[in-house]
Amino acid sequence: MELNFTVNDKPRILAVSADARLVDILRDELDLTGCKEGCGEGECGACTVLIDDKASHACLTVAAQLNGKKITTIEGLGEAGKLSVLQNAFVEETAIQCGYCTPGMILSAYALLLTNPAPTEADIRTALAGNICRCSGYHQIIRAVQRAAKEMGGAR
Amino acid sequence: MTQNTGTCTIALHVYSMHVLHTKGVNVLQYIGTSLPIHDSVGKATGGAKYAGDMTVPGMLHLALLTSEIPHGIVRAVNCEKALAVPEVVDVLHCFNTTQRRFNRYRNIHGQKLSNQERVFDDKIRLVGDRIACVIAETPQAAQLALSLIEVDIDPLPFATDAKTALESGILADIHPEGDVYPVKEMIMGGEVPDLSGTVITQTGCRLERHNHVTMETQACLADYDRCTGQVSVFSPNQSVHGLRTVLADLFEIPYHKLRVVKTTMGGSFGSKQEWMCEPVAVAAALHTGRPVRLSFTREQAMLSTITRCAMDGTVSSHAAKDGKILSIDLDVTVDAGAYLSNSQDYAAVICSKLFRFYTFPHARYNARAVCTNSPVSGAFRGWGTPELFMMLEHHFNTLAKDLHLDPTDIRLKNAALPGDIDVKTGQTLGEIRAGACIELGREKFDWFGKKEAIKTFNVRGGRFRRGIGVGCGGHGNSYFPRREDFVGVEMRMAEDGCVLVNMTVHDHGCGTLVAMRMIIAETLELPIEQISLGEGDTDKTPLDVGCFASRTTYVTGRAAMDCANKLKDELIARASLLLNIPAGQLEAANGVVSPRNGGNGLSFGEIAAKSMHTEQREVFVSHQYISKSNPGVTGAHFAQVEVDTYTGMVEIQQYLAVQDIGRVINREITAAQVQGAVAIGAGCALTEAMMPDKSGKFTASLKDYHLRNCPEVPTVQIEFIEDGSIDGPYGAKSIGELAIVPVVPAIVGAVNDALGANLNHLPLTPDRIVAHLANGGIAWN
Repeated sequence: MELNFTVNDKPRILAVSADARLVDILRDELDLTGCKEGCGEGECGACTVLIDDKASHACLTVAAQLNGKKITTIEGLGEAGKLSVLQNAFVEETAIQCGYCTPGMILSAYALLLTNPAPTEADIRTALAGNICRCSGYHQIIRAVQRAAKEMGGAR
Repeated sequence: MTQNTGTCTIALHVYSMHVLHTKGVNVLQYIGTSLPIHDSVGKATGGAKYAGDMTVPGMLHLALLTSEIPHGIVRAVNCEKALAVPEVVDVLHCFNTTQRRFNRYRNIHGQKLSNQERVFDDKIRLVGDRIACVIAETPQAAQLALSLIEVDIDPLPFATDAKTALESGILADIHPEGDVYPVKEMIMGGEVPDLSGTVITQTGCRLERHNHVTMETQACLADYDRCTGQVSVFSPNQSVHGLRTVLADLFEIPYHKLRVVKTTMGGSFGSKQEWMCEPVAVAAALHTGRPVRLSFTREQAMLSTITRCAMDGTVSSHAAKDGKILSIDLDVTVDAGAYLSNSQDYAAVICSKLFRFYTFPHARYNARAVCTNSPVSGAFRGWGTPELFMMLEHHFNTLAKDLHLDPTDIRLKNAALPGDIDVKTGQTLGEIRAGACIELGREKFDWFGKKEAIKTFNVRGGRFRRGIGVGCGGHGNSYFPRREDFVGVEMRMAEDGCVLVNMTVHDHGCGTLVAMRMIIAETLELPIEQISLGEGDTDKTPLDVGCFASRTTYVTGRAAMDCANKLKDELIARASLLLNIPAGQLEAANGVVSPRNGGNGLSFGEIAAKSMHTEQREVFVSHQYISKSNPGVTGAHFAQVEVDTYTGMVEIQQYLAVQDIGRVINREITAAQVQGAVAIGAGCALTEAMMPDKSGKFTASLKDYHLRNCPEVPTVQIEFIEDGSIDGPYGAKSIGELAIVPVVPAIVGAVNDALGANLNHLPLTPDRIVAHLANGGIAWN
């Protein structure tokens, strides 16, 4: 099929099979390898991207669902050579260890802040419930989201 | 001194009994501060490349076929249909690959181990065993072809647990060496003391199998240049040189023709120190003469790599009425899984941690590893120590109950004291702070206050019951004295004052590189931005056993510190010639070598540049450090839980971790390691288990393997006891493996306290708790 969609603000037209998974399209066709596959069944959240600003599993979404959609990957946050506020908060708060969950974690947090600019700790924990981090106990990650919310002007 | 950092409180305790042998606590610029991991910007932007993200021109894609049956003989592999798929290059299987065997666990040349595995074998020993590998131009073609391979297997009877295997004897022929691998009995301590009038207690534990669940699964890119004979392997591994010995010996490649490079690692916890993925990739690269890439699926990462073993253990003791154990006897059965791999060593090494928190005058240890048709057992954070301490701590709780003693008091009665001798090794435990961990922990946790409050809460009855538990644990900091432990480091001073460091480290994602740079920057008094350090690469970095055994900070960090001091001395020696001032009258500080009595000096960069121009010499030093100590390194954790007696669900309400760490290098990352250990440990205690179904297939999906997620992980309060070790860099001891050791016993102890129970089959899943309660199990006084 012809897939006509927007990835990181750029219109894209690709020839893909209708059942091609978004995770494979991003990684193999567009070289956006920040989108990680961790389980292939929507359990770990490593492949989280934004589809029309909603956090979604790229491993459970196929091309047939994507025409006209707006996709944001980790590569689409921030400007070239500059970290976004949220990315910077993850770095500064030492919320990154092995980093494999990080892109998905940041995008889930980003989706939260789009709809809830002043989340409570419980809101953050719920928003990140589908993103597994095996290295940390989530403390620094929660703090990074709180810091970003504050810096973006919405913190409680 | 306390830092409040959001949800987590980290406190620093400096005890006067031990003076830091370096500088005063407050003058350090880097040690004890918090810095992000070296590649965090790349990880935050998607720019960091893991092995599965790497591509090179001409690269082929691999897909692995694994067994769906647990035991059998492969009669035929029919690849006709698979090979007919366009863009499929070939299929490798047991009838067209090397007959040579290897051991996935070997990490040192000449290590004596049973070589039981082939890349593909004609005997299948578990669901998940490797059968074949498709090599194709595209991942899609590889996947399609995978489904078209026809395998003819004659099934054999199977057993997925050690008890069944031992009782039935049906796996006696699983390997030429058989299925049971005993460990030589160990008797430790002097003569058996007078045991008259002692209390005899026996307890047991059944611990189910766990998976590491690293977010990045195993992956490898391998290349073979037919013109030069050079093989290159890029993978997230914990030992480039260990992997080199296995691959080179397996494929009969000279060591200098096999290059292993460590790539960005998406977590390990032990799962990337054994070799399941790389041999397949190298076989395919050698076969095709082209670069190939293999990434394991989650199911393969769960079934076809390594797991923490399932274990049965019993502990018997003779104790005095005051709770002091006079003699202890352990018997352990390790379920090795389908290949022996490390399990005989694993079973043996458990008793080497027996005296790392407590001291017992006399001990006896018996163990065996048993092969079964289960996922292969292997390294897992702690390497047997978490299992040992679960068994010991459960025993202490039982004994405390029998003797009407408080669980913390009985532990203090048996805790090793600073300077005590490790009965097993005869080496000093040095600056061990086991007792201090318990004492500080019960004060900060308000142990006795909570004990009373919980009694009041539970006596009301009702749906929810609360309990508190303590878990203690000790570990090591290196291989010493089991194995000589050494590290080589090289440092070069560049003409602009930057330092290029060459050593073999493997960052698991827990900040090894930044920790080394902090130590070096501190020692050289240079800005950390001027220190560069890469990771393991067998073509470039010095021989090293690998980043495991909790040796990295303690041994490698000390080597880096010593080498930096040597570089300082070399800079002074060079400056002495350049300035024509005796070295004894010069000092190096803040990046400048200058006369002690004032006057102009030379910056480190100027020394390097002038040495090059006038002496024709690079400012270069190398250093080899041999570690000859392994002090006690301990922790005590405290948990309060609430058990829902209707559902069997457990909420961890409060959690405190006290760590005797000597000295923290990178504070937040160290705290995160402890918190991460609590998150994994809570899963091991309550929900995480790999269980077989009737077909012999173990849990292979995260749908069924329940990790604690963000809402379920407790807030962890952390107290670091930092009074310095003698030999660690700036006084540091280990943390990564140790941190998980006390977690499971603390949580399990709290659940048992809540229910007045003695549950010992882990994890304590809601099903097990509900079954216990359904059998009349609630026994609160």
